[in-house]
Amino acid sequence: MSIKVKISEILRYLTDIQNIVEVDGSTVNQCLDDLVKQFPDTKKWLFDKDGKLRVLILINGVHLTELTRPVRDGDELHIIFPVGGG
Amino acid sequence: MLTKDELEKYDRQMMIRGFGQKGQEKLKKAKVFIAGAGGLGAASATYLTAAGVGVLRIVDHDRVELSNLNRQVLHWHEDTGKRKVNSATQKLRKLNPEVKIEAIEERITEANISQLVAGFDLIVDAMDNLPSRYLLNKMALEKNIPFFHGAVYGFEGRAMTVIPGETACLRCVYRGAIPEEKFPVIGVTPAVIGCIQAAEVIKYIVGIGQLLTNRLLIYDGLNMKFTEFSVKRDPNCEHCGHLEGKS
Repeated sequence: MSIKVKISEILRYLTDIQNIVEVDGSTVNQCLDDLVKQFPDTKKWLFDKDGKLRVLILINGVHLTELTRPVRDGDELHIIFPVGGG
Repeated sequence: MLTKDELEKYDRQMMIRGFGQKGQEKLKKAKVFIAGAGGLGAASATYLTAAGVGVLRIVDHDRVELSNLNRQVLHWHEDTGKRKVNSATQKLRKLNPEVKIEAIEERITEANISQLVAGFDLIVDAMDNLPSRYLLNKMALEKNIPFFHGAVYGFEGRAMTVIPGETACLRCVYRGAIPEEKFPVIGVTPAVIGCIQAAEVIKYIVGIGQLLTNRLLIYDGLNMKFTEFSVKRDPNCEHCGHLEGKS
């Protein structure tokens, strides 16, 4: 299944990844795993040392709180990186 | 009651539909806590002072450094080495002597945060790191104090307003912290976001407009775009999942 992932500007700055990436998977979790497989540099920014996700994920513009949610062909994931500067 | 000078000073904002003298009196009674006297704190404190908020408590433990001056516009070259809260207070009191400015020179920690925010009606999140923001978010929820989040990175900024027990909180949106690092930033970014936070605070106090709740606003200064994403309360959120209320 082909899912588009839109990457936030900040993650692009940190990992040199393009702004839209195609990933494969049947759940959001699997899509994120495939993203990390394609771009290993993203792992340390997406997950903490305990493997816990630390970014905001939206699917087709809707806030996702359950990562086991199935995805469908053409779905769009959006990764929003936490920002702390002031 | 507003004084003759106050009626003149705030004339233009009282002309706004739904604002009026009643709105100004609400502002005069409000006590706003600003966590941080950096880039976001400078912008939000300046406009809240100009708008005539009753009491502003500003908390920051840092001293002014040269590298702050590109964005923390309440601190000037001559203030280098001074405590940020003192430098900020000095300017804000000159801007509007009727606003009571309280300067507290302390690092916000788990041990002192409850005492620091006690008695305040609203919290402005103008910190420079995520762990402190989560601490503030949690305390705001515990004490049922509206929380006005803002954050910046480079030309990008974020803002969101949290009404405890009713709308998504910071922890519902972000699940963790990122490794701490020196972050890039241009002064106009915290200026934009700090002003958005101040606008939200004013709207909340006066009771007009639609708040930035359940919406994460992202400002992209490089492409000059504002994007907003709908966010929702996470029933399993470790900060607000236990709170009852409208979601």
